Amino acid sequence: MVEIRSPSVRRGWSESARARASEIVGQYPEPRSAVMPLLYLAMAEEGYLTDNGMREVASLVGLTPAQVRAVASFYTMYKRDDPGRYLISCCTSISCMLLGSDEVLRAIEDESDVTAGETDPEELISVEHVECIGACGGAPAVTVNYELIEGMTAESARELVRWLRTARPEAIVGAECQELFGGRRSFDWGPFDRDSALGPYPAFGPLGTVSGPAEDQDG
Amino acid sequence: MTEPVTVTINRRQVNAPAGELLIKTAQDNGVYIPRFCWHPRMNPVGMCRMCLVEIETPRGPLMVTSCTTPVSDGMTVDTANPTVKKAQEGVLEFLLINHPLDCPVCDRAGECPLQDQTMAYGPGESRFVEEKRHFEKPIPISELVMLDRERCILCARCTRFSEEISGDPLIEFQERGNYTEVNTFPDEPFRSYFSGNTVQICPVGALTATPYRFRARPWDLTFVESTCQHCSSGDRINLQSSQNRLLRILGVDSEPTNQGWLSDKCRFGFEYVASPARLTSPLVRDEEGELREVSWGEALDYAGKALGEVISRSGGRAVAGLGGARGTNEDAYAFSKFLRSAVGTNSVDCQMDDGLDPRLLSGVVDRARIADLENAGSILVWGPDLKEEHPTLYLRVRRAAQELGAGLVVVHPRGTGLDDRASVKVTYQPGSGGEVLSELMDGNGRMAEAREVLSKGPVVALLGRPGYGESPDLAEATAAFVRSLPDATILPLARRGNVFGALDMGLSPALLPGRAQRGTLAAQMLADRWGELPAASGRDCRGILEGLESGDIEALVLVGADPVRDVPDGELARRALANAGLVVAIDQFLTDSSRMADVVFPAMGFSEVEGTVTNIEGRVLKVNRLTPGPGQSRPDWAILSDLAARLGADLGLVSAQQISEEVEELADIYRGVNWERLDWEDRDGIVVSGDLGYVPVFSHVASVSPRPGEMALHYARTMYDDGVMMRESPSLRPLAPGSGAHLHPTDAARLGVGEGDSVDVTSSSGSLQAGVVIDPTLEPGVVYVPFNQPDTASLGSVPGVRVSA
Repeated sequence: MVEIRSPSVRRGWSESARARASEIVGQYPEPRSAVMPLLYLAMAEEGYLTDNGMREVASLVGLTPAQVRAVASFYTMYKRDDPGRYLISCCTSISCMLLGSDEVLRAIEDESDVTAGETDPEELISVEHVECIGACGGAPAVTVNYELIEGMTAESARELVRWLRTARPEAIVGAECQELFGGRRSFDWGPFDRDSALGPYPAFGPLGTVSGPAEDQDG
Repeated sequence: MTEPVTVTINRRQVNAPAGELLIKTAQDNGVYIPRFCWHPRMNPVGMCRMCLVEIETPRGPLMVTSCTTPVSDGMTVDTANPTVKKAQEGVLEFLLINHPLDCPVCDRAGECPLQDQTMAYGPGESRFVEEKRHFEKPIPISELVMLDRERCILCARCTRFSEEISGDPLIEFQERGNYTEVNTFPDEPFRSYFSGNTVQICPVGALTATPYRFRARPWDLTFVESTCQHCSSGDRINLQSSQNRLLRILGVDSEPTNQGWLSDKCRFGFEYVASPARLTSPLVRDEEGELREVSWGEALDYAGKALGEVISRSGGRAVAGLGGARGTNEDAYAFSKFLRSAVGTNSVDCQMDDGLDPRLLSGVVDRARIADLENAGSILVWGPDLKEEHPTLYLRVRRAAQELGAGLVVVHPRGTGLDDRASVKVTYQPGSGGEVLSELMDGNGRMAEAREVLSKGPVVALLGRPGYGESPDLAEATAAFVRSLPDATILPLARRGNVFGALDMGLSPALLPGRAQRGTLAAQMLADRWGELPAASGRDCRGILEGLESGDIEALVLVGADPVRDVPDGELARRALANAGLVVAIDQFLTDSSRMADVVFPAMGFSEVEGTVTNIEGRVLKVNRLTPGPGQSRPDWAILSDLAARLGADLGLVSAQQISEEVEELADIYRGVNWERLDWEDRDGIVVSGDLGYVPVFSHVASVSPRPGEMALHYARTMYDDGVMMRESPSLRPLAPGSGAHLHPTDAARLGVGEGDSVDVTSSSGSLQAGVVIDPTLEPGVVYVPFNQPDTASLGSVPGVRVSA
C-alpha cells in the first residue's frame, strides 16, 4: 500500500533494535516473512519472548499479536517463559537415545535438581529435552545456551552442571565446554575461536544479527 | 468462462464448470459429501479430512479431499464406497477422541454438524478409552463470544473467517500438536465487528454467543426470513424466536447482498425489541406537563384536534414531518401520504441532516449495484468508514480488493478498516476535501498513483459524507468527477436502515413516491389519487428545525426519529423541539426527542410488522413478522391513517399489503414488485430501476479551515453508539466506544496530554469532555470525536473545535 500522509511516531523498543528490525524486514519481499527472525530479536531485547515483544513484532510486520503468538507458540525454541541463566537442552531423539541420552538427561535432572521443562528457584539453570539438534554423529549431545557439546556421558553431564553452578561463566562457548566435558565429536570443529559463539539466538548468525561474541549480547 | 467438463459421480454423469471444487459439484448435483472445514464462501484448506472421496487415477483409485480437488474432464468419483465409508468412520472416530460428550448441555445440539454427521457417517462406537484432553470450560474471548476449547475440532473456519473475510485475525491456532487450541492474544479480546459469524459457522458448539447461550433449543425455535434494518445494505437474515420472544438472528446467504455474513450489530442488535422500556400505551402531556398514559381514542382525539388547529390557523405548511427511515416502505408511504394529502405540507425529511442530496442518493445516473464490485477493475471509497457504517458492504469491498483483484483507493480523514487492502490511501484534514478532489482530478504528484489505479475500469465509486465536518456537496462534486473515469458507476452512501425506501416513498421535500419530482406527469397522476398536492416547496431537516426554532413551523410529526440525538447539531434540535407548538411522536421508545413531545403513540417495529424495504442499490426486500408488538402498540401506517381520519381525511389504507399494492400501482418503478414475488421466487429482492437520471453537478467545494486556535473536527459515526436501539440492547450497549478525543501524537504532545487524559472539546454549538486517544492515523491538526456516544453532548456540523487540556 502506498500511504499518503505525514510520518508518524513509534514507541517501544530501543532505537538499535528498531533499526535492526527494519533491516531484517527489508530482507524479505513481504514483511510478514520476517516474523521468525524478529521473534529472536524480541527475545534478545528482553531476555525471553514477552507479550510485549510479540506485540512489537506484530506491529512491525503488520500481523495481529494473535497471529504472532500462533507462530511463537508452535516452536519450542521461542522461550515464552524466562529461562535461567544457563539453558541445558538435552537431545532425546533416536541417535542420542540409542547412545544413552536418557541417562544423560536423568543425570542432569538429578544433579541440578531441575525437572526437564523447569528452572531452578535461583533462576540459574533451566533443563529441557529437545528433538534432534543435528549432532547425531557425536551423540549423545546437549547444548548449553545453544552451544553444542558432543559425546556426553552421565558422569560428564554431572560435571557440567557442577561447573555451571560453581564457575558461573560469563558466556558459554561451545568449543571450551567440549574440551572440558565433551567426548567423541561428529567432525573436527577446527581451531578454537571465541568469536564464533552465536549466543542464545542461533538464527541470528546467517542474518548477521549478532555482530560480536556472545558476552556483548547481554549489555 | 471455461468449457464445462463432464464428471462421473457415483456412476452418474454430471456437467460442471472446469476448476470447480468437487465437493461443490457433488452438492449441486444432489450428492452431499460430509465436511466440517469447507465453507462455500471461504477458500478451502482440507483440514478436517471429512470430505474424503475416491477418484480413479491411472495408478488406481486414490483418496482425495473433495474440498481441495478441482473437477477435471472425465474424472470418476465415488463418494460412498466401502473404502470411503471406512475413511469417514475413521476421521469421525479421531475427531471424537477429544470431543466431550456434553451434547445435553451444549447449545449446538440439535443443529450440530458434528452430531448430525456422526449419526449419518460415524462408526457408532469409539475405541478410545484414554483420558480426553481438558481445558477450562467456556472462556470469554470477547464480550459477545464464548469459547469452549474442548469441543473444538480445529477446522479453522473461525480463524480463516477472521483473516480472509473480516480482516481482523484476533483469533489463531495457538500451541502445537495435542495442545493446539484456538485462542486470542492474552490481552487482546476477539473484539471484531463480525465475531458473530464465527459462531454461526462453527461446526460444533465451541463458539457460542452470549446473547443466545442457553436461551433456547434449536427444535423449539420458530423462524422466518427477513431483512436487517440497522444499515441500508439490506442484509438477509433469519429471525428466530421461542415463546414469542426474538432470540437469535442468523445470516442468510443471499448472493446480491450479504453473502451469508452479518455484522454483530445486525446479529445481536435485536434485544431492544423486547426491552421493558418499549412504549405500550399512548401518552399525552397533561396539565402538569407530565406524559400520562391514555387510551388510543383520547390520544388520537388530542393529536387530531391540536394538529387541526395548527392547520386551520396557519395552513398545512406550518406542519412538518421528520423520520420514516427506520420503518418499512409501506409505513413511509403512509407518512408521505399523510403529510402531503391530509396535512398539506412538503416539509418532510427522512434524513437527519446527515446525508447527501436525495436526488443523488436514489436517482443518480449510472447508479452502481453492489454486485458491480465483483467485476470492478478499481474501486474508490470516499465517504464514511464502511466498516463502521456499512459493515457488510465493507466485506464486499474487502473481498473485491483481496480476492478479486480490484484496485482500491480509500480517501478518509483517518485510518479505516480497508486501509490494509488499499492500493492507495489518502488521509486528509476534514474541510479540505475540495482541495484533495482537485488534486485527484489533476492526478499529479502524490495523486498520480491513485489516478493510475482508477484508470482501470470498470470503476465503482462508493461516495458519501466522511463526517459532519465535511460539506455534503463534496460527494456530489466527486460523483461528477468519477463519471469521467472508465465505465464508472456510483453507489451513493447513506446509512440509515430504510432511508432509500423512505426516499422512494417521497419522504423528502423534493421527491414524491416512485422517485417522482414535483411538477412532472408522475406527480399529476399521483395528485389524481391523493388529491391536490401542496404547492409550496418544503424544507429539509435542517430547514424544519430552524423553522421550528424561529416559529415559521409550528407543529412537528416524528415517525421513529430522534433528532435530538441523531442530527449533527443536537442543540439546534433540542431548541427546535422545545419551541415547537406541537410535537406528535410515533415511536417505540421515549427517546430524548419523543420525551419532549405532546403526544406519543406506541409503534410496532422490527420483527413485528410485515412489509418491504429498499436497500442502498435500490433493491426491494421483504421484512417479515415473527413476534407480537408490545402492549397496545400499532404499526405506523395504522396510526397515521387514524390520525388523518381525525383531520377529516381518508387515506384509504387498510393493510400493509394493500399499501404495497397501492405503491405498485402509483409508482412506476415499483411496478411488478409485490409481496408474493418477494416471499417466494425473489427472496433476494428485486432491484427497482428507472432512476431519475440525476446528473451530479460539479461545483468547486471551498475548503473550510478551522479558525485560529481551533483544530479541524472529524465527527463521524461508529457502529455502536447511543442510538436508542443500541442503548436498549444490553449486549451491545457496553461496546460503544464512548466519548473520545482522538489526537495525532504531535498534537497530544503540543497540548501536553497523553492517552486517557481528559480534554475539553468546544465548538460553536456545544462542548464535551473526552478522554484522549492517541491516533497516529489522523493528520496532525485534526481531532476525531465519535458521534452520539453515551453521556456526551453534540458538537454540531462545524469545521473546527477548540481542544484544551
